[in-house]
Amino acid sequence: MNTTATASLAPAPQRGVLKRFLRIFASQEAVLLLALVALFVIVGSINPRFVAERNLYSIFLGNAYIAVAAIGMSMVIISGNIDISVGSLIGVLATISGSMAVAGYPLVLCWLVPVLAGVLISSFTGYIVAYLKIPSIVVSLGMLSILKGGLIAVTSGEWITDLPKGYALAQLKPFGVPLPIYFMIVLTLLAALWMRYSNTGRAIYAVGGNAEAARLSGISKQRTIMKVFAIHGGFTGIAAVLFATQLSVIQSTVPPNLELTIITASVVGGVSILGGTGTVIGSTLAAVLLAAIGSSLIFVSVSPYWLRSVQGVLILLTVLADLFRRKRQRKQG
Amino acid sequence: MFKRIGISVAIAGLLMGAAQTSHAARWDGADDLPVSPLACGDEEGGAAAAALPYDGGMAINAPDKAGAEITLVDVPKLIGIGYFAATTEGMRQAAEELGNVKVKTDGPTEANIDDQITFLDNFITQGVDGLLFAANDPVAIAPVLRTALKKGVHVVGYDANSEPDAREWFVNQAEFNGIAKSMVDSIVAEIGDDGKFAIVTSTFTTPNQARWIAEMQAYQEKCFPDAQWLETVEAQEDNILSFNQANTLINKYGEDLQGLLGMTSVATPASAEAVTQAGLCGDVAVVGLATPNAMKPYVASDCVKSVVLWNPVDLGYAAVHVMRAVVDGKFAPGATEVSAGRLGTLNVVNGSEVLLGAPYVFNKDNITDFDF
Amino acid sequence: MSRVAPGVANSPSMLSSLRRLVLSHEGVLLIILIVSLLLLATQTDRFLTTDNLLNQCRLMAEVGLVALPMTYIIITGGIDLSVGSILGLCAIVLGVAWKNYGLPLEFAIVLCLFTGAAAGAVNGYFITRIGVPPLIMTLATLALYRGFAEGVSQSRSVRGYPEWFYRFGQGELFGIPTQLWFLIAGLLITAFVLSRTVFGRALYAIGHNETGARFAGLAVDRYKMLIYTLSGFMAGLAAFVFVSRVSTTRSDMGTGLELDVIAAVVLGGTSIFGGTGTIIGTALGVVLIQLLKNGLALTGVKGDATIMVIGVVLICSILITNFARSRQATGKAANSDE
Repeated sequence: MNTTATASLAPAPQRGVLKRFLRIFASQEAVLLLALVALFVIVGSINPRFVAERNLYSIFLGNAYIAVAAIGMSMVIISGNIDISVGSLIGVLATISGSMAVAGYPLVLCWLVPVLAGVLISSFTGYIVAYLKIPSIVVSLGMLSILKGGLIAVTSGEWITDLPKGYALAQLKPFGVPLPIYFMIVLTLLAALWMRYSNTGRAIYAVGGNAEAARLSGISKQRTIMKVFAIHGGFTGIAAVLFATQLSVIQSTVPPNLELTIITASVVGGVSILGGTGTVIGSTLAAVLLAAIGSSLIFVSVSPYWLRSVQGVLILLTVLADLFRRKRQRKQG
Repeated sequence: MFKRIGISVAIAGLLMGAAQTSHAARWDGADDLPVSPLACGDEEGGAAAAALPYDGGMAINAPDKAGAEITLVDVPKLIGIGYFAATTEGMRQAAEELGNVKVKTDGPTEANIDDQITFLDNFITQGVDGLLFAANDPVAIAPVLRTALKKGVHVVGYDANSEPDAREWFVNQAEFNGIAKSMVDSIVAEIGDDGKFAIVTSTFTTPNQARWIAEMQAYQEKCFPDAQWLETVEAQEDNILSFNQANTLINKYGEDLQGLLGMTSVATPASAEAVTQAGLCGDVAVVGLATPNAMKPYVASDCVKSVVLWNPVDLGYAAVHVMRAVVDGKFAPGATEVSAGRLGTLNVVNGSEVLLGAPYVFNKDNITDFDF
Repeated sequence: MSRVAPGVANSPSMLSSLRRLVLSHEGVLLIILIVSLLLLATQTDRFLTTDNLLNQCRLMAEVGLVALPMTYIIITGGIDLSVGSILGLCAIVLGVAWKNYGLPLEFAIVLCLFTGAAAGAVNGYFITRIGVPPLIMTLATLALYRGFAEGVSQSRSVRGYPEWFYRFGQGELFGIPTQLWFLIAGLLITAFVLSRTVFGRALYAIGHNETGARFAGLAVDRYKMLIYTLSGFMAGLAAFVFVSRVSTTRSDMGTGLELDVIAAVVLGGTSIFGGTGTIIGTALGVVLIQLLKNGLALTGVKGDATIMVIGVVLICSILITNFARSRQATGKAANSDE
């Protein structure tokens, strides 16, 4: 397993760097990367247009916001919690952003306020989870209803149109590469490094893995969870801005099943739902893989009726591949 | 390692196996109804269909409220989307104009057959004079509507029909084959008789969309047999997913793709956006069902030449007028027309349907006249 | 929240003998339920009628049926997100087997139940034998089973069932909606099994400490396998009742059911971390959500506001219980001399 991963990454010149690189990429990441490469090779050989530059950009571009939201979600899950309200929150924040833009606020504010609002709303969720000790699944189920109901009550589904020029952040293409891709890569790397090297980052793993041990080593569980939710809100806010600025109109509703897509990206990325393990690089790779699977099935002309089944099988296979890898590792000691 | 190879082979086999089943089944609208394509070109719809006898239901022992104030409840497929916000606005206008009608819109937040039934059930219990509905499923909604008729509540549908005997009248925005003709004619006008096009729809199970596509296929095979139908993809009612799916089609077919048809008011603007962002305006034509406001930027930039739609504000408006006429006893089974305020007189078709008119084609010249 | 508070504040003094019941989560729920029933009843006279209440029971049967085994699963610390998709798949199997393959409808119903059990067993097998975490497994089968439903049906709906078939979803037996009998039977059996049998105690033990339960010699895998199979079976039963109620079969049936069910179960006081929870609590949770939806709609509250209220109730009911529990804990400490 590791040999294959090394082989696929072999072009890197420095061995030492590579080794450290590999360690950061814990093995679920390698499985995902391999699956991704395999998918591109197989589908690309059936239909070369699949691996054309334009299609690769499309796959990344249209799903970058899911990857960004999955970063925050992964942190939440690693800390032993979950947030089911994330889809509704993205809908609400995107609507805030769009309404502000139409109302004529400076564009920078339209991009920043949703992020701050995300932090605020998510901190509120975090407060209830951390200090009032209500399981996060319950709080976020409740928040899902509240945010969704509130959004419909306020907008009644009117689309936001006539957005000002220059608002479309996600449509910018510095150096010919769509901006959301930069966001996705930079945020993933920053988050991965932060999770690994900062005190808070390590505290998140500790709280999720073994809360009691974390407490004994002087980590405040409550403050850590509060922080995780606040950061998650920030990522959700960024995802919402990318979501809102992707097209020239904003559909001010909650995108159907968005929370499931995001959670799926996190767990397929190797984040253990029991808390304590996983990385954000895995979740980003998984988000890309899921998007690539969706696109590839159209490229190889899978019967549209069977598309969802094939998707389900592929998700299952990725998860199983990881499980077998872990079992083998355990056997090897 | 072997397991990995095994898995890869399994994936590949699965993909190929599934690929073979593609294109096998022809589109049939997911129901057992026959298609009835209209005549080609500009000739008026061929022989007029023979007038059918009234096949709607009857509200039993409904209290006589002719001229009196009535309370109506409107239960659309779902609330919180632009299209039904527009029908609601039309209902409000009609109620204001009539003065003796109170109408309230409420419904599920997702297009879910079960939730819609629950809402209707609640309103029947609450006691209203009339129910307006747009069905998520024509059969599933029927039992609860029949209950309403039994309890003396008047029932009028709009946008999406139920089984005829479960309601009194249905306000039909445009006939399925009429929409199909407008859509296919519009796209062929842009891509030529032998053009190749693909479709972005909501889901295959949505009855209206499924019927339209079935009629479109029948009409295209009859009138433009050389045009090529490449593929139909699902994109829910999701803006970004529609955008992604349209992008995927563009990337998959490259220059072979000359036209995209959007079947929902969500899919059409998203397809236009995909074409715009790919820099293919003029190379890939976009035609579809959509509301004008969402399409204005693309029509203004000449990326989209025609948008097909009835006016949903008028649709809601007409539904309330029909209901009022039913309650007042002015519109009974067997009638052939009904007067609907500013819309004038509307004709009855297919036994118990009120036809709003032919679908409207918006273009650069007239799109700015509409705000919904 | 403010509506609920007076009832809770008064209860200890008024019902001091029932203090323990009141302080339990079921007690809190019961009070919320009664208070909201009375409040809603004063707002409209259409709410508290036999007709309306029976009708509501009809509407909540599917969620209720699936919520019962879900309680078991959550008590063991697991979860089943695929129930909505299983419902869709079973409905399609029922319709397709009858219409396309010409099987007798009775047999198609059995096949529908069997499909549900099989789908649940597949979940159980992967969870117990291969060790896939339940959330991930059922997230994958959420997509997979829905996909099967679409593929098998080719997105076509099946209609036109014979008249007798509708008795189960639209008819009555001894004046009570037929499906309510299923629900009551299911409720009594699952409640009895959970509170009075070895099986039930084993579920709590697994939820508390799975490793400990294994060391204590419990056949943990067998129990888990059973409850996931049961969950699938009940989803199949719910599919049968649902198809009979709405008289059609579509592949998108039951979409989103999992969240409704989980909301009802956690509102009923079952801890998502496993180890605690009761069937009575779940039943109260299902009833409370249904009656709130219904009652608020009857008093003229709109759908978007209703789901907000339900969200608030969900959070607040757990808050109140936590608060009550911590008081109970301090109370116990103070009374420890007795």
